[in-house]
Amino acid sequence: MRKIILQVHLLVALIAGAFIAVLGATGSVIAFEPELDRLTHAHLSYVSPSGRVLTLQEIGDAVSRKSGGEPIVAYLLSESPDISWEVVLPRGIASVNQYTGEVLGVRTRGQSALGFARELHVRLASGDAGRNIAKWSGVATLISVTSGLYLWWPAKRMRIRGFRRNRSFWFELHNSAGIFLLVPLFVLAATGAVIGFEDQASRLLGKLNRPHTIRSGETATSPRTMPCAAEITTDQAVAIARAQMPGAVLYRVQMPRYGGAYRVSLDDPQDRVAGARNLMVIDRCSGDVISSSRSSDLLLAERILAANEAIHTGEVLGMPSRILACLTSVAVPVQVISGLLLWLRRRKIMPTAERGGVV
Amino acid sequence: MKTIISVVVLLAASALAGDVAGTWTGTFKASGGDHTVPQVVILKQDGNKLTGSAGPQVQEQYPIENGKVDGDHVTFELTSGEWRFSYDLRLAAKDEMKGDLALKSINNSRTATVSLKRTKRD
Repeated sequence: MRKIILQVHLLVALIAGAFIAVLGATGSVIAFEPELDRLTHAHLSYVSPSGRVLTLQEIGDAVSRKSGGEPIVAYLLSESPDISWEVVLPRGIASVNQYTGEVLGVRTRGQSALGFARELHVRLASGDAGRNIAKWSGVATLISVTSGLYLWWPAKRMRIRGFRRNRSFWFELHNSAGIFLLVPLFVLAATGAVIGFEDQASRLLGKLNRPHTIRSGETATSPRTMPCAAEITTDQAVAIARAQMPGAVLYRVQMPRYGGAYRVSLDDPQDRVAGARNLMVIDRCSGDVISSSRSSDLLLAERILAANEAIHTGEVLGMPSRILACLTSVAVPVQVISGLLLWLRRRKIMPTAERGGVV
Repeated sequence: MKTIISVVVLLAASALAGDVAGTWTGTFKASGGDHTVPQVVILKQDGNKLTGSAGPQVQEQYPIENGKVDGDHVTFELTSGEWRFSYDLRLAAKDEMKGDLALKSINNSRTATVSLKRTKRD
C-alpha cells in the first residue's frame, strides 16, 4: 500500500508539480496585491491626513478641472485615512488627495506585473486551457497533501538539523514544512479547487437554497432614461444610501451617466465574509432607492461560496489569515522543489530495488 | 476644391458603411472565464459614426465612445466601472455581428469573444 501511495505522490508531483509551484508562488504575491500595488505607486497612493475630507462634489470638480472636463465614471474611496481616493475616468484612474483635492496622477489601464501574477494564478495566463489546468492542479495539490501525510506518518519527522548540501536536508525540509503547513495547505488547496469548479459547486449548493423570492428592498423599478428637471448630487445619493445601512462604510460610487442610476457600494465591517456585497441603486432624479442588494440577503449557497473565497484569500480573519495564506503559498514551491530534489538524488544514489520503499 | 473632395470622400465612406443601427443582443465570454455575460447594445448610426450605449441589460447601459463603421467593420469603446471595453466586430450577416472584445482595467487586461444578433432595427 505504501509503495502505491508513494508512486501516486511522485506521479502527481511530476505531472502537476510545475503548475502547483506557479500557483503557490503567485498566490503568495497576490495575497498582498493591494499593498504591493500601493508600494509600487507610492507617490499616487499615500496622503497625509489634514483637515476635513472634501465632499465627492468638491473632489469631482477638482478632477474635472485637471482633466479638461472628462466625465467621471466612479469614485473609489480608501479604507484608511492615509491612502488616497481614486476617481475613475474613461482614460484611466486618477488618484486624489481627499483633503486638498490635489490630483496626484492618472494611471492608465493595462496589464502590469501584479496583474500578470493574478492571471497566472487564476488561469496560468493561458485562457480556457490554463483555467482548466489551474483548477485540476488544485485537485492534484489535495492528492499530494493527503498522500504526503500518509507517507510522513510512520516516522513523524519534523525537525531540520541545519542546512547541509545533501539529500537528508531536503528530506527533513520536505517533511517538516509539509507537516507544519499541512492544515493551511489543505485548506488553500480545497478552497482553490472549489473556486476552480465554482460552476459545479454552485449547482450542487443550489440545492441548499430556499426558493428564490424577491429579496428585501428589491423592486422591479428600472433606472429612468429620460432627462429630469433636477438631479440629486452625488453627496445626496451617498447620504440616501448611508441612511439605508447605518454603520456601513462607503467604498464606491458609480455615476448615473454610467449605468443609468447612482450605484453606491457599502461595506459592512461586521461581515468579513461578504461585507462588501452591499449595493444601493439610487434614482438620479427622485433620490428613490430603486433597488438594494445586501450581504445579509445572500442565499445560503452564495454565502458558502463567499466564505470559501474569503478563506482562500485569507480575508476571513483579516491580516493574520492573509499572512498565513501568504506563508503557506510560499511553502508550495519549496515543497515542489525539495520533493523534486529528493526524487532526483534518490534515483542517483539508491539501488533500483530500494526505490519505492519508505522515504 | 478641397471642400468638394472632402464631401465626396465623406459620402463615399457613408455609402460603404454597413447599416448597423438598432438593438443588438448577445453575449461575450472572456478567455479563461467561467461564464458568458449578456449584452444589449443600442446603436445609432450617422454615416460611419456610431453612438448609443451598451451594457448587460436594457436597464444598465453605458455610453459608447469612438464608435465607427467601416464597411462591415464595427468598432466602439465604453467604460463600465473600472473596466474599459474595446469592441472590434464584423458583420457576419445582415443581422449578426461577431468579433473580439479587449477588456482593460488597472493592472489587468483580458480578451473575449462577442456574438450579437439584431433584435430591433431603427
